[in-house]
Amino acid sequence: MNPFKVLVVDDERDFLESLVRRLQRRSVDATGVTSGEAALEHMRVHKVDVVVLDVKMPGMNGIEALRRIKHSYPEVEVILLTGHASVESGVEGLALEAFDYLIKPVKLDELIERIMEAYDRRKVVGELAGSPPPDAP
Amino acid sequence: MTRPYANLSRRMTIVALLVALLPLNGLGLGLYYYYNYTNTQALKEELRIRALNRATAIELFLAERTALLEVLAHGARLNQLSNESELAGLLSIMNRRSWSFVDLGIIDKQGLHRAYVGPYLLKEQKYLDAPWFQQAMQKGVYVSDVFLGFRQVPHFVIAVKHENGSDSWVLRATIDSDVFNRLVRTAQVGKSGDAYILDRQGRLQTPSRRGGKVLDPAPVDMSSVSPGSSVVERTTADGREVLTAFSWICGGKWLLVIDQDPREILGPLNLARNVELAVLGLASLFVMVAVFILVRLFIRQLRRNDEERAAIDAQLAHSARLVSLGRMAAGVAHEINNPLAAMSELAGEMQDILVPGELAKLEEGDVVGENLSRIQNQVERARGVTHRMLKFARRMEPHMEGIDINDVLRESYSFIEKEALFNNVKVQLDLNPNLPMVQSDRAQLQQVFLNLMDNALDAVGQGGRVRVSSQADGAWLTVKVSDSGPGVPADLAGRIFDPFFTTKDPGQGTGLGLSISHSIMQRLGGSLELENHPGQGATFVARLPNSPPDTA
Repeated sequence: MNPFKVLVVDDERDFLESLVRRLQRRSVDATGVTSGEAALEHMRVHKVDVVVLDVKMPGMNGIEALRRIKHSYPEVEVILLTGHASVESGVEGLALEAFDYLIKPVKLDELIERIMEAYDRRKVVGELAGSPPPDAP
Repeated sequence: MTRPYANLSRRMTIVALLVALLPLNGLGLGLYYYYNYTNTQALKEELRIRALNRATAIELFLAERTALLEVLAHGARLNQLSNESELAGLLSIMNRRSWSFVDLGIIDKQGLHRAYVGPYLLKEQKYLDAPWFQQAMQKGVYVSDVFLGFRQVPHFVIAVKHENGSDSWVLRATIDSDVFNRLVRTAQVGKSGDAYILDRQGRLQTPSRRGGKVLDPAPVDMSSVSPGSSVVERTTADGREVLTAFSWICGGKWLLVIDQDPREILGPLNLARNVELAVLGLASLFVMVAVFILVRLFIRQLRRNDEERAAIDAQLAHSARLVSLGRMAAGVAHEINNPLAAMSELAGEMQDILVPGELAKLEEGDVVGENLSRIQNQVERARGVTHRMLKFARRMEPHMEGIDINDVLRESYSFIEKEALFNNVKVQLDLNPNLPMVQSDRAQLQQVFLNLMDNALDAVGQGGRVRVSSQADGAWLTVKVSDSGPGVPADLAGRIFDPFFTTKDPGQGTGLGLSISHSIMQRLGGSLELENHPGQGATFVARLPNSPPDTA
């Protein structure tokens, strides 16, 4: 199991559950929640390194969730995932320091690659900040 | 011309013609009738004066001769005048001064012609029953009407009575008809003018040019002639419209009649009137031509403006449709992408579970494995579609960016590839790989290229060929789309970029594609032209300025 924790946020339960299980099967420590509120709730209790966030969700949408996550946990990397490729939400997401912006459906290998890269940057940022990343080997 | 324009054109023409021609023709016709009226009035007045003058001259002629005869009758003795040689001497003296007497005679109170000098053998004739003799005996002086008498020649006489107690006799002279007739004829004017004298019974006293011989009845209704002098318009027996002047002579004894054909006199005057009419006609014609030309020009310009505006409206509507189409495409893509992602994950998980050797344990496990990877392939295929839709949607917003023209051409081709395949059309992409990047609007260029390729496919039909090429020559990047179709008929080639011009069947095309493409290329600083080879296909040439992205 990789040493970092991934949180997947998507209101599409079929997608979410399947994806989380597949990530876990590939040794990624992943958890799934179905809304932005649940994600913030989860992060209050559990440590998270990378968030995979659906942009369009009922209730709190992905952009709002991204804003709050970055506000409370600036060191956490967020990968936006959406079925919609509107330029505005992409630009807005990147402006809010999302790590990347991917359009569904995404191949699992590609997603894991991005998660790894995001974690790598998370580590660098953490080291520069002077505090060793949590659970570093 | 379509109906509303034709109606407008007709109304404008009618109003303009009314406004221009009514006053013009009113003035012209007014002048015409004024000319006519004043000319006729002037002629009538002139005729009346002439009749008066002539009547006065005739009266004077008769009065002079009557007076001379009176002097003779009262101053001479009967014996003296009864001597025919003395009487002849007297007549020759009188006629030497053009007194125009034909003969002289002395008649005693028993009516016996006592003495006579003249060309006829009238001596010893008895005149007791002759009306002129009775009148002369009764009134003293009498001028007769024309009569035949013993000589059986139309003539008239002046008779003067000498009275001395119980002794009385009559001196009679015949007036030379030729001289008298000439005197009357001087009132004739022109070739058709006529002048003659009638007695109270309406018999001619002098010959009429048209009305007949002396003593014939003249076709003039005597009862309608007013006293004094007058001028009337009348129709003669032979159907001519004439002006006729009447003037009574010698206290109502005779009537002088002057006929005049007004056209003969008014002819020269009417020339001015006719010139005026001709000028009026020419001016009217000129106004009409001017009105027609102006209305045509106006309608043509109006129509051109309307068409331009309609084209702009249509373009705006078209752009708006494209934008909303883009939004819809994005929405649809999103809605499909989510289930696709779920399907992909679900199938992927099953693959994860089954792949490491589990399949072999299942009956027909290889089919399950094969189907799972086929599901992934189908998802991948659908993903290709939705991602292209999203790209398309993203490009509906106009913006300039660095573009590889070949890339745009390939992408445009990908949209029509299927259609070309269906119709068995060979599309040859002949792209120069060394094209520089240009600064332009990708979506609009794609719209143009798609339109050109679409048109080419329509033109060639089943089994045709289409060639798309790109090249760079100096300041321009050139894209050519050629087809092996029939080409554009030469008479239509000039109109294919006009808005709403289409050769397709109704409902098959809006006639806007090429018009919009043309204006897009102009807006992007380039051009769109047709190289037409009727019978051998058409080539559309799109040019873009070769401007590197960094300098634009």
